[in-house]
Amino acid sequence: MRAILSELRASLSRNTSMTISLVVTMSVSLMLASLGLLIQAQADRTERYFGDRLQLQVNLCTKNSPAATCVGGVATDEQKQAVQDALRSNPEVKSFSVRSPQDNFEQARALLGQTDTGRKQLETLGPDSFPESYFVTLNDPQDFDGVVSQVSGMDGVGNVNSLRELLGPLFEMLDKLQWASLGTALLLIVAAILQVSNTIRMTAFARRREIGIMRLVGASSWHIQLPFVLESLVAALVSAALAASGLAAFMHFVVYGYLRDTLGTITTWVRWQDAFVVMGWTTALSIVLALIPTLVMTRKYLNV
Amino acid sequence: MIRFDKVSKTYPGQKRAALDEIDLEVTKGEFVFLVGASGSGKSTFLRLILRETRPSTGNVYVAGKEINKLSSWKVPKLRREIGTVFQDFRLLPNKSVTENVAFALQVIGKSRQEIDQLVPETLEMVGLEGKGHRMPEELSGGEQQRVAIARAFVNRPKILIADEPTGNLDPTTSVGIMKLLDRINRTDTTVIMATHDSSIVDQMRKRVIELNEGRLVRDEARGIYGYQN
Repeated sequence: MRAILSELRASLSRNTSMTISLVVTMSVSLMLASLGLLIQAQADRTERYFGDRLQLQVNLCTKNSPAATCVGGVATDEQKQAVQDALRSNPEVKSFSVRSPQDNFEQARALLGQTDTGRKQLETLGPDSFPESYFVTLNDPQDFDGVVSQVSGMDGVGNVNSLRELLGPLFEMLDKLQWASLGTALLLIVAAILQVSNTIRMTAFARRREIGIMRLVGASSWHIQLPFVLESLVAALVSAALAASGLAAFMHFVVYGYLRDTLGTITTWVRWQDAFVVMGWTTALSIVLALIPTLVMTRKYLNV
Repeated sequence: MIRFDKVSKTYPGQKRAALDEIDLEVTKGEFVFLVGASGSGKSTFLRLILRETRPSTGNVYVAGKEINKLSSWKVPKLRREIGTVFQDFRLLPNKSVTENVAFALQVIGKSRQEIDQLVPETLEMVGLEGKGHRMPEELSGGEQQRVAIARAFVNRPKILIADEPTGNLDPTTSVGIMKLLDRINRTDTTVIMATHDSSIVDQMRKRVIELNEGRLVRDEARGIYGYQN
């Protein structure tokens, strides 16, 4: 083991520039990949918050609703029943789910709790400030006019939102950002794989005499491959650590330092726990990225 | 110890066989000279023993193993029973004499205790006691070849293959190397030595196998070089 570690040290110092360039490429690609994954987590979180992006949101009246259909204050049980019956009998409606005022209050707490002003606002609000809502899934998401016109005039209905119209631009932006970062990450990952292969080819050439003797005296294949595998693994883990630091900086300065404060009212933003999950995935990815080409290339160049 | 059973080898893209219907046996503890002109098939013969290549037809048996059927993950184990010495020594220039010899044991996973015991023992046997800390470049050609022999023999292989071990050495130094190989042979190690050095073959009077264009043309028990360029 000591011999293998000293081989590893010698090999890393011999290939310093190659290893650094590999680490740089790999960490940038992992950083982009982790941004892509973080945006995915953000999209999931936003979707969970607003419900499915293709749904209609029917809010019933609260005690303070200004709409003409809310003159009686909070929607009565009969009014609720009438709206639900109308939704069930409408052929354009596929299904709908109910969100209680308490659920809506919890959602608002999560959203407003992100900023100071939001927290102040929360002090004046309670569950009764929020309506009961129906999240309606349509058979054809494009075709929502019929349902909107049917239920928006009913007594007890405060307002009807098409989430598609409200959130379309946000989801579109998230999608584009996600694909841009994952696409660029993919290109860089290809570059990283090629660099791993190149590094191995050069190391195998530099060590051809040792490798020849190792084969001749009967060193097993894994013994010959091990220094290469360890070298790639070290590079991969350093890259993963750098990418994780990059992501942590992004979380600290961009998400917590800017987005949550200034854009906290739009949606709930990703948290540290999302970032940690992403870091776990990118670390696993870095190991796969380093090991697979290393194992393939050492077989090819070392003739083991 | 080694048996060639109607062995032929033709390399891809070559018309002429490198080895043609070779049939012979080398028993345990024998000392065999392998002679013949360049291109006669000596290297292929040695490569087959080391399982660096496989025969096109026929079978090769080494240390009780059938080479053709040996799966590639078992090849390292076979090679641990064979020591190899080359004309150009093939020492690692950045390692000392001791480290060069120890390297052969480290890479097959021998323990530190075994290495600490076997390496000085072997260096003494090849006549390099007290020179373990030297670097290869500080040694004469003969001494470098002794290091290479120590490395090949340190794991106490059953077979020692020497591919023109005296090819780069002057006659006096060559005699020293031959004495060393003879000593190793007396430990019951089978030695197969490919050579062009007629005086050595004539002096030693050991078994001589001569190849010519891939065919076995002579196999004498106490032969002389006999082959003329």
